Amino acid sequence: MLRTLTRVSALALAVGMGTAAAAQDTLTMWARTDVQNFLPQVVEAFNASHTTQVEVQFIPPGELVQKFATAAAGGSAPDMLSLDLIYTPAFAAAGQLADLTDIAKALPYFDQLSPAHIQAGTYDGRIYGVPFSADSSVLLWNKDLYAKAGLDPEVGPGNWAQIEEQAKAVRALGGDVYGYYFSGACAGCNAFTFLPYIWSQGADIVSADGTTATLDTPEVRGAVDLYRRLIAADAVPPSAETDTGSSFFSAFAGGNIGIATSGAFAIGILNTQYADMNYGVTYIPGPDGQPSSFGGGDNFVVTAGMEDMTAVGEFIDFIYSPEMQKLMAEFGSLPVRGDVAAQALEGLDTRYGVATDAMAKGRTPSTVVYNDIYNSATGPWLQFLQESFYGDDVDGSIMIAQETMQSILDGVQ
Amino acid sequence: MSQADLAVKTRRRMGSQRRREMAGLLFVLPAMALVLVFFLIPLCMTVWMSFHNWPLMGAPKWTGLDNYAAMLKDRRFWGAMEFTIWYSIVATIAIFGVAFPLALFVERPGRTTAIYRTAFFLPVVVGFGSASLLWAWFMNVDSGLFSPAAVAMGLTDEPVNLMATTDGVFWSIMVLVVWKTAGFSMILLMTGLQSVPHDIIEAAHIDGANRFQRFWRIKLPLMRRTLALALILSVAGSMLAFDQFYIISNGGPRNSTLTAVYWIFSQSFVSFKLGYGAALSMVLLVILVIISIAQLWLLRSPTGDAK
Amino acid sequence: MSARVNPLGRAAYHMIGTVLALTFIAPLVWAFLSSLKPAAEARLPPLPPWPTGSVTVENYVALDGYGVGFWSHASNSVIVSIGTVVLTVIISVLGGYGFSRFRFPFKSVFFIMIISTIMIPFQSILTPLFLILSKAGLQNSLFGLVLIYVTLQLPFSIFMMRNAFDAVPIEIEEAARVDGASVFTVLTRVMLPLVAPGIVTVAIFAFLAAWNEFLAALIFLTDQEKYTLPVLIVAVRSGRYGSVDWGAVQSGVTVMMIPCVILFLLLQRYYVRGLTAGAVK
Repeated sequence: MLRTLTRVSALALAVGMGTAAAAQDTLTMWARTDVQNFLPQVVEAFNASHTTQVEVQFIPPGELVQKFATAAAGGSAPDMLSLDLIYTPAFAAAGQLADLTDIAKALPYFDQLSPAHIQAGTYDGRIYGVPFSADSSVLLWNKDLYAKAGLDPEVGPGNWAQIEEQAKAVRALGGDVYGYYFSGACAGCNAFTFLPYIWSQGADIVSADGTTATLDTPEVRGAVDLYRRLIAADAVPPSAETDTGSSFFSAFAGGNIGIATSGAFAIGILNTQYADMNYGVTYIPGPDGQPSSFGGGDNFVVTAGMEDMTAVGEFIDFIYSPEMQKLMAEFGSLPVRGDVAAQALEGLDTRYGVATDAMAKGRTPSTVVYNDIYNSATGPWLQFLQESFYGDDVDGSIMIAQETMQSILDGVQ
Repeated sequence: MSQADLAVKTRRRMGSQRRREMAGLLFVLPAMALVLVFFLIPLCMTVWMSFHNWPLMGAPKWTGLDNYAAMLKDRRFWGAMEFTIWYSIVATIAIFGVAFPLALFVERPGRTTAIYRTAFFLPVVVGFGSASLLWAWFMNVDSGLFSPAAVAMGLTDEPVNLMATTDGVFWSIMVLVVWKTAGFSMILLMTGLQSVPHDIIEAAHIDGANRFQRFWRIKLPLMRRTLALALILSVAGSMLAFDQFYIISNGGPRNSTLTAVYWIFSQSFVSFKLGYGAALSMVLLVILVIISIAQLWLLRSPTGDAK
Repeated sequence: MSARVNPLGRAAYHMIGTVLALTFIAPLVWAFLSSLKPAAEARLPPLPPWPTGSVTVENYVALDGYGVGFWSHASNSVIVSIGTVVLTVIISVLGGYGFSRFRFPFKSVFFIMIISTIMIPFQSILTPLFLILSKAGLQNSLFGLVLIYVTLQLPFSIFMMRNAFDAVPIEIEEAARVDGASVFTVLTRVMLPLVAPGIVTVAIFAFLAAWNEFLAALIFLTDQEKYTLPVLIVAVRSGRYGSVDWGAVQSGVTVMMIPCVILFLLLQRYYVRGLTAGAVK
């Protein structure tokens, strides 16, 4: 009886909300500031051609998770989000995302959508997130500085020895010019760009089943030592140690860095905003050259309780159109739809080829505690990076980080 | 005639005592309602939540003392607690070390002195958020003030990245906190100094007590209550530090400047473990109350009568 | 004693005083002057602090480009601050009067309850506050934030207002009552002007607290349109692609602190009196 009653009232509520939602033709959307280079263009194009209007809000990447979680818990969440794909499992598990399985599977090109995104967006057999933007981690090198340093400007680093050698050669130019850059105080940046150095050796910091922290391995130690050698050789600018990510892109764009860890997104910004920059794109290599990459980017998700799925479907279909895929590629997001990728990239910078290939080879960690382990400014990952790159007791800091990560993993039942 | 007697008379003249009681209750009702809803209930909820696994989203689950057990193994919490206590001790000493001389300096009357007093106090009214942003800028190695100024003055050859070391962050923030709050303690201490009856000082002077003795033996003991207040406010404020560490250092480098409140915030609103955050809050609360009581006890009147 | 009388000592006193005063004001002036530099210059170390070339408002224009525009956020801050001031004053005047002039059951228990909330940091009850606001539909609402701020101001404000009413001789009130004025009329017509200084004190404390508060605003406001200035400017500092626009940060800090400084300079007397009221009592 009670159940029937609840069901009836829920239905009444749903109907009431449904009509309200149909009447409302503005959808609110949140996104991290990282996608600010292309999302406004997409939304503008959508709004120009549809009665439904989308309104976007940009939020600093460090705050997006906290903001969305509190907003969702407080009932003031936006209708949809462009959400860093690694967070999809956590929010899906918490029941905050709408089930997009039907919409996604109805798309004729569903099997062409980026598998990394779909995999991260799938929880318990249902799809909660579909690919929106894609970004793979790569290395950039500055061809002008390479030429000045007597290196072949057309060949970037292909293995660890070359990274060291070329970074030191560029650093030898002296002054403000440095060989290698990474954002030393940015947890997310280094998950994106440092993990591949570990992956390329066939290792990982969390076991495949997600239950054991495996930080204490020779492979991790090897990657750490690469960075330690670069730092010891003064090839890394001192300001890198405390960069919380605000210079992740701008350090390289400033023109004084030989090699920088970065992502496909940088190609879009460099081409559209720094036209003079003469740079190359290559894979993040392993010690002997095996390429690896972090398959990142955003999933498109919808907040649970959203009624107006027609409008959502319209928007999804729109972003996968060849035109939009091309537009987004131009501004720095790799195509997420395989069958139109070639078409989208046609006529665009050939350097996207490397990034697209890296994306295809890329890995994406999938865990509900991604934030606790990797991205949090107070998490074990950042502490491990800072201590092992710059501290005196590498083994000790690896042990401590290993324990902390293990206790976080143990907390997931 | 005492005020109570008058009140009684007044009441008779006004008629029904009940009506007067009701009026009184009605007057304090809004305040009581707010305190109840936004203070007492949340306080009880904190206790209740601390016994749960309470995710930000989803259903809470009773877990008894699990949160408290987990806390014992929480290295980052104890690290944060240790840092917070260390920070509070140093900050309080530093603030008093600056505020006391300032209070003695501005204690005398005079128009110019009033200007000095205003100047010393001005940073207090600027918010901690704004002040922290200001410092974040000053501490920046490329665009800031501290490092370039040190280089310009020839104190160092190389730029100093203050954000890179625990000491750099800690002492920079210490300077911020002293600059920002010394004026507050100064005013309190000044009031304390001025409240010491003049004839007592005069009498001591006649008895041959020198300036130092008059300050140390007479003034200081007599302003014990003010001292206790200033001390408790300063320690409690430091124990709850958050803004400056969140804005300036993000708890870094290497979580070495993580404070207790920061860790609670991070566990509750970044890791979504509200129950665990509540348990941490309870511990912080108990520690704070103990510290406050300890300070009151230390500064209690030696004769036993608290004035 | 002697040091204060001889002219040399006096000169030394004023020299030290001037240097100290300038030291304390310097950081604020530094931010203000740097904010007037062109954006490119604001990125360089502020030596000297003043603009070496032209004076511009470029940084203020840049600040307007963040969030949903400067004026929206500024008006959020103003709404929250004014709302807090008005509500705090009303509630503490009523409460202070009630506690000062009336007898009712549990009076001292209630009073102690309100005052003792000052002992417990609101940071430790943030989580349940968040849940309560969510349940009430007041999360992500400026009004919800105002209610929290008012509650935080209550212990001080009620204490302040009760003392203010206590200081008014009861005969004045009696005289008014003899003339047949109601309780409410007595409060608004007779008592209010007499406790006006206390009200100013309460108001200025409430304003500064609400204007500057960061943590609760950070947690409870999730919608960018609702951000108050502190939350906005911290977001500015976290940078966009490219880098941190320090010029915008400087202009933001300047905008944040100017109302506080002006208010304090104008109403200093009341502010300091409020501070010392607790110290000597």
